[in-house]
Amino acid sequence: MRTNFGYFEEKQLGKPYDMKMLKRLYPFTKPYKLLVSGSIMLVVLIAFLDLSLPYLTKIAIDRYIVPQSASDKADVSGSEIRHLKVNALEPETREIISRYPDIFQISGQEAVIELKNLSQLSKNDLTELRKKDFNGLNIITAVFICIIIFSFVFNFLQVMLMEYTGQMIMHDLRMRLFNHIQRLSVSFFTKNPVGRLVTRTTNDIQNMHDLFTSVISFVFKDMFLLTGITLALLWINWKLALVSFSVLPFVVFASMYFSTSSRTAFRTLRIKIAEINTRFAETIEGIKILQIFLHERENYLSFKKLNHEHYIAGMQQIHVFAVFMPVIELLGSIALAAVIYYGGGSMIEGKISLGSLVAFISYLKMFFRPIRDIAEKYNILQNAMASAERIFLILDNQEKIPQPVTDSGYKTPDLKKIQNIVMENVSFGYTEDEPVLKDISLEINAGETIAIVGRTGSGKTSLINLLLRFYDPTSGKITINGINIKDFELSSLRSKTAMIMQDPFLFSGTILDNIVQGQNNISRQNMDFILEASNCKSFIERLPDGLNTLLYEGGTSLSSGERQLISMARAFARNPDLIILDEATSYVDSETEEKVRQALYSLIKKRTSIIVAHRLSTVRHADRIIVINKGKIIETGTHDKLMKEKGFYFRLNQLQLS
Amino acid sequence: MKSLYLIKPYFARNRDIILLGLFCLIVVDVLQLFIPRIIKWAVDDLTLFQINLKQLLSYALYIVGISVIIGFFRYGWRRCLIGMSRSVEQGLRNSLLDHIQTLSASYFDKVKTGDLMAHATNDIQHIRMAMGMGMVALTDAIVLGSASICFMLYINKLLTLYVLIPMPVIVLGTRFLSKKMHRLYQEVQGSFADLTEAVRERFAGIRIIKAYNLEEQEASRINTISKNYINKNLRLVKNTGSFFPMLLFFSNISLAIVLFLGGRQTITLDITPGDFVAFISYLGLLTWPMMAMGWVINLIQRGRASLDRINKILSTRPEIDDTTDAKSIKQIKNNIVFENVSFSYAKNTPLILSNINIKLKHGAILGIIGPQGSGKTTLLNLIPRLFDVSSGRILIDGINISRILLRDLRSLVSFMPQEPFLFAGSIKQNIMLGTAETNDSQLISAAEKAALYDTVRLFPKGFDTIVGEKGIILSGGQKQRIALARTLMHDRPIMILDDPVSQVDMETGNLIIKTVKSMAGKRTIIIVSHRLSAVRFADLIISLDKGRIVESGTHEHLMENNRYYAKTFRLQEIEEEFNAN
Repeated sequence: MRTNFGYFEEKQLGKPYDMKMLKRLYPFTKPYKLLVSGSIMLVVLIAFLDLSLPYLTKIAIDRYIVPQSASDKADVSGSEIRHLKVNALEPETREIISRYPDIFQISGQEAVIELKNLSQLSKNDLTELRKKDFNGLNIITAVFICIIIFSFVFNFLQVMLMEYTGQMIMHDLRMRLFNHIQRLSVSFFTKNPVGRLVTRTTNDIQNMHDLFTSVISFVFKDMFLLTGITLALLWINWKLALVSFSVLPFVVFASMYFSTSSRTAFRTLRIKIAEINTRFAETIEGIKILQIFLHERENYLSFKKLNHEHYIAGMQQIHVFAVFMPVIELLGSIALAAVIYYGGGSMIEGKISLGSLVAFISYLKMFFRPIRDIAEKYNILQNAMASAERIFLILDNQEKIPQPVTDSGYKTPDLKKIQNIVMENVSFGYTEDEPVLKDISLEINAGETIAIVGRTGSGKTSLINLLLRFYDPTSGKITINGINIKDFELSSLRSKTAMIMQDPFLFSGTILDNIVQGQNNISRQNMDFILEASNCKSFIERLPDGLNTLLYEGGTSLSSGERQLISMARAFARNPDLIILDEATSYVDSETEEKVRQALYSLIKKRTSIIVAHRLSTVRHADRIIVINKGKIIETGTHDKLMKEKGFYFRLNQLQLS
Repeated sequence: MKSLYLIKPYFARNRDIILLGLFCLIVVDVLQLFIPRIIKWAVDDLTLFQINLKQLLSYALYIVGISVIIGFFRYGWRRCLIGMSRSVEQGLRNSLLDHIQTLSASYFDKVKTGDLMAHATNDIQHIRMAMGMGMVALTDAIVLGSASICFMLYINKLLTLYVLIPMPVIVLGTRFLSKKMHRLYQEVQGSFADLTEAVRERFAGIRIIKAYNLEEQEASRINTISKNYINKNLRLVKNTGSFFPMLLFFSNISLAIVLFLGGRQTITLDITPGDFVAFISYLGLLTWPMMAMGWVINLIQRGRASLDRINKILSTRPEIDDTTDAKSIKQIKNNIVFENVSFSYAKNTPLILSNINIKLKHGAILGIIGPQGSGKTTLLNLIPRLFDVSSGRILIDGINISRILLRDLRSLVSFMPQEPFLFAGSIKQNIMLGTAETNDSQLISAAEKAALYDTVRLFPKGFDTIVGEKGIILSGGQKQRIALARTLMHDRPIMILDDPVSQVDMETGNLIIKTVKSMAGKRTIIIVSHRLSAVRFADLIISLDKGRIVESGTHEHLMENNRYYAKTFRLQEIEEEFNAN
């Protein structure tokens, strides 16, 4: 599991942003309107089927299983007696009646028997007498089975539909976030560790899975169930329904109380666990310090204290749930008791049937289940909202290198070929008070090879960052062919350049993928030339899979020199005007060093190139050498000129040669 | 199952609470079974109209009364059993941290922080779930399930047998599907890992992506991988999606059987209408335990796997530990000696240090220089035994340091590592790390010596400034000086400084060097630096290259030697000269 720890971001979790977040998430569901509404329709159908089951049972009881009472036949005590009515005209029935003349009362076409006297009949007679009821029961059971089969199919379809929709929404969100992050400027990446950004695009989006798949559909299902049950109850018997609803105000009150206190408990718990994770990570990362300073005991004690606070918060949450759940159950039971008492009373008075009473009991049970589930759904929602908030925080970040404004009829200039590059009084710093480059002025003409020399931290890499517009200068300007580089499209500027870094970054994938980088129009001939020129040919031919060799995690299966050669091939494949080399030879093993040097030479031939190097031997043949110290150009000229001047460059050379 | 010993103590310690919790749970389960009985009585009486309002009222009151009791006991088991799982969580997490702190540095080179974090969060959470909800659901399923069956049997044996027909199908179906689901779930996890790695790689290589205009292409690759993840998910859901509807379907089949057969039996007077209604209620009680079984088994298995993983960490013994005959030593009188010391991180990997011989009198200053990767930091790490030598010996006053109590050895050393690691507390807490001192005058004096005091005074909250995670609000130089002040707080016989002036400017560096110089003679000081002015005054300077000592001696001696030291020294002289301009 990839975790993100750090309680800085957790602190933002204070206010109930939930509605705002849901509003912002809503547009992402729009493209799937049809699917979502289909899924909701299915949910409604399922709820409807669910509701019909207790009603079927009611019909079975009232029509077939337990005979309706005949209220006109009151006995001496005045209270009602349940009777079974049979058709006295049928010959089979007539025969049975004649066998038990004492307990049947015949009135016209109908014969009536008291329910308690049914036991005096023989089994066969009883079966014969109630033949119709058996048939009715068969039909009801058949309908029942049909309904549960439909319910099964609908449920399955609904889950699949919702999962597909949810996954697609998450996919869109993920791609949107990935694309957004990818287009943010390099400075954003220096401020935000890669791990955090990865967590946003993967885990935080995953956290919304349950929101999109189960919560939304369940909310609808629960809503329909609740309304459906309410209507069904009112329809069966509105008075009894109102009696059983008398507990509802208490349920609402309890739920509201619960949602407030569970929110608090949930948040405390989240913040505490985030702190624990931070502490844990800190302990692992700072383990040497802790051990050397013999600080383990104190660290353990303070961790223990934090852990205990988490435990207390956990117990608080348990308490909230342990109160809420039984209270809801209790309210459910009270409603049940009320139904038994009041409903039973009505039944004695003959106002409702036994089946209705049983259906009431079943419906009440169904009524309280969604209410209990609210707790679980609420936790999921909270979790998802916290993630949504962090995702939108990134989506709201607009830290981009500004693109030229293209509206109002202005067209960005075309960059066909780089003729010359000019830096005019360029200054730059990563933070306001720490300038890294001061007042740099420089002109580079097409075809020139420029070497930049200076110690670590003198500003060489920053100069390159400005040329590629990873950053913009704080003052001064950079022009290409006389046009400020800010006026070019970023992509057109960068398509003319290739960069080779000291640590060649290769993506996992095949060697070929890494070389062509999406330009699928490279001919076979051209490819041969690229491999030849970059000195890759011989070692790639030695690999069993050749160009299709898979590289894992940054290409660790190759030597550093071979990786550098591939990055050279990548540069060749682009055929750029400007090559930028950032200490490209410094990490290469001695075997491949010569090959890298050769490849480099053929790469910079006939192209404009800027080489940043530590080793003076690699820069000797440059057309011009620029010496930077503390962000300023202190010397500039050819090797011979600088050697004659006997300045910084000269003395560096003296040292390295001796 | 051998890992169970880890949680046994918690069972023992909380025995009373667990028993009370289980008692509450069983009471709840049994009482729950009475409510359908009461409903049955009411229905039967109502069917025959042999009841009056008073009797109905008493049935209603029974239900309410039982529910109130159930409510209290339900609170009881939640509090006891789930609370217990929280206390197991707390305990395990404490022992995990406690244990991890004893492990040697080499362990952390092998194990990724992320993996350890996953153990500390996910695995412990799985154990908690298995202990809490898992146990509860298991007990619930067993008690409620078997009791429901008993009551059903009591009403009518034949009907019960028919109703139970779908149940084995449910259990078998659960087993079959859960195996398949497990496999698919792992595929989903695997494809999630692919997605994470792909995203990570793109963010890590963002400069290449930007420089080569690869944004759209990479987005389309992520798109493919993300789609693949969706497909894996859908395949899983095809199974999980049919799983719960299937369970529901089979339990509804049972209901249909009750309706059909139970209805017939009611008509033929084999059972009463009340029995019929009660049967439906019991079936409702039985369905849940059946459906929960699969989930519970899964939960407990997952918890067990997590427990095994935690156990694996807890049973890792630190590589560097006290030997049985370890001696206590509180002072250094004579010297520190490296005798033919060689070191590599693992067998059959290249030597980082080979054949190092150094003899350093107590109170002397040793300077170590050399290019990056020459083994300087490794050499320093051997002294407080962050790593152990691969061959050779390090002796303090003639005693091999591997025979000195680790705690004693480390209390002899104050160490400033190359990377200034700060904890997320205040500056004061960071400087005072490992000292019992609460005295501010010592704190201020340490800060002054580390050229930090003037900087800290400018912060509105001074020493109480919270530095944030890894000192995020501070500059590199500030962090380095805090780490130095932390080292200076400890008045210990050996002081080790790993490149203490690398991130501070020249003047501040000179102040720090002055501080170090002033301590000469009182302690043994070992200092690594790329800035040679920081080692120039040392009694002995050694120059390392590829793990070997290539030259050693005093500044004067090495300047005469005219090799790495002398060249670097002159280069830095030129640089300083130009910097002055």
